Amino acid sequence: MKKGKNVMVVTISIVCFLLMMIVFMQFKVAKQTQETDIDTMQETELRQQLANWKTKYEETKEKTQEISNTLETYKKETSSDAKTKETLETELKTLEQALGKTDVEGEGLIISLREKKESELEENEYTTQIYANDLINIVNTLKDAGAEAISINDERIISTTDIVMVGDVDEEFNTLTIKINSKFIRTNEYEIKAIGNSSYLENSVFGKGGYITQIDGIVATAKKSNKVRINKYNGEIETKYIEEVN
Amino acid sequence: MNKKREIIILTIMCFVLSIAIAVQFRTVHYNGTTIGSSQSESNLKAQVLKMKEKYEDEYKLLEELTKELENVRQNVAGRNGELKELEDKIKKDNLLLGNTNVKGQGVTITLNDGKPDLNLFLEDKDVLIHDFNVLLVVNELRNAGAEAISINDERVVNKTAISCDGNVIVVNGEKIGTPIIVSAIGSSARLTALDRPGGTLENIFRISGKIAELKKSNNVEIPKYTGVYSYKYAKTIE
Repeated sequence: MKKGKNVMVVTISIVCFLLMMIVFMQFKVAKQTQETDIDTMQETELRQQLANWKTKYEETKEKTQEISNTLETYKKETSSDAKTKETLETELKTLEQALGKTDVEGEGLIISLREKKESELEENEYTTQIYANDLINIVNTLKDAGAEAISINDERIISTTDIVMVGDVDEEFNTLTIKINSKFIRTNEYEIKAIGNSSYLENSVFGKGGYITQIDGIVATAKKSNKVRINKYNGEIETKYIEEVN
Repeated sequence: MNKKREIIILTIMCFVLSIAIAVQFRTVHYNGTTIGSSQSESNLKAQVLKMKEKYEDEYKLLEELTKELENVRQNVAGRNGELKELEDKIKKDNLLLGNTNVKGQGVTITLNDGKPDLNLFLEDKDVLIHDFNVLLVVNELRNAGAEAISINDERVVNKTAISCDGNVIVVNGEKIGTPIIVSAIGSSARLTALDRPGGTLENIFRISGKIAELKKSNNVEIPKYTGVYSYKYAKTIE
């Protein structure tokens, strides 16, 4: 009987000792595991960076090739003014597309935005207005997702495009009007078109944490299409102050 | 009775022990992947550096060829007036696209994080400069007629997105730290309007404890865009 009790005390002591050791080990490993998280993060970041540089390299290489070809053409056509003219026009066309001065077509996304009617409101939702800031954010998100051309209600987004609200903010909402490219958009329904990878574009705006999920009181729908057509910018882009330096 | 208790206690102990050991095994297994990933990580780092170098070499080549193309184009366009006109248009478009370094009158705006002030109910998140704050400044500068804009020497062009990656702001895919310096060329009188009482800088920045300072200048210099314009999806149609 006494022997049995002794054995039990010894056994329990040993078990307690082992348990304590395991707990300590556990602590140490847990600390290391936290560091592991940072390590994985760094790896993701590295992969992202690698992809970034690779895209930049490939784009640059493509451009280098394009310029080499153009150079070659100019050098060959020393006698023919007509051919030189053609090459100059081709170069100009490429630049005008980048500026937004040509009509373009391609795969992309069409987003429709409108304000909810009172009858459509869900609990804790209020009637709201689509603000200039909403459009600015969506356009920026689309650019981030690689949009190659964007328009809002057929107003082409170019490098000088501003989106602002005109009117007195303190008065009734309907006195506020959005202006894009200094032109009034006299409607509160918007159609944003973007050309690019349609899945990337859709996910950037409608996906988890996307801008659309952050705003209430607005009905937003997206339609992917293989043939989105975006009209050119109709104005002239004037410069008065910038001067080239070498 | 005592023996039964002994057995129960020992059973519980054994159970706890085996769970602990199982957990231990799983964690060790997890650690095993770390060792693997740190190896592939140094490999990745080398790859990143190599790719960056490849890009830089290619970019240097691109700059040289662009220069050569300009000279050759100028030469061939000198042959007649019609060609010269086209060459002038190409030059103008390149200027508008941000493909050249430019200077002119304008403003520089310095943006910086403020200090939290609990008396004014300003917390960390209020006084930090966010990506959308910078986005709005760019929009307002365009509204005031800016012809060229840069953020910490990254030229803002049509396809430039301003986003964030954790705590830093990303422009043209490059990380930008504070202080953020937004430069703009245009009528300095019009651009200065951002600084008026109740204006953009007050509304977006100062009112929430952030720091924003605007300086007029007769000689703002803005570097060219270092990316390239390339199109995979959009095709020009007649």
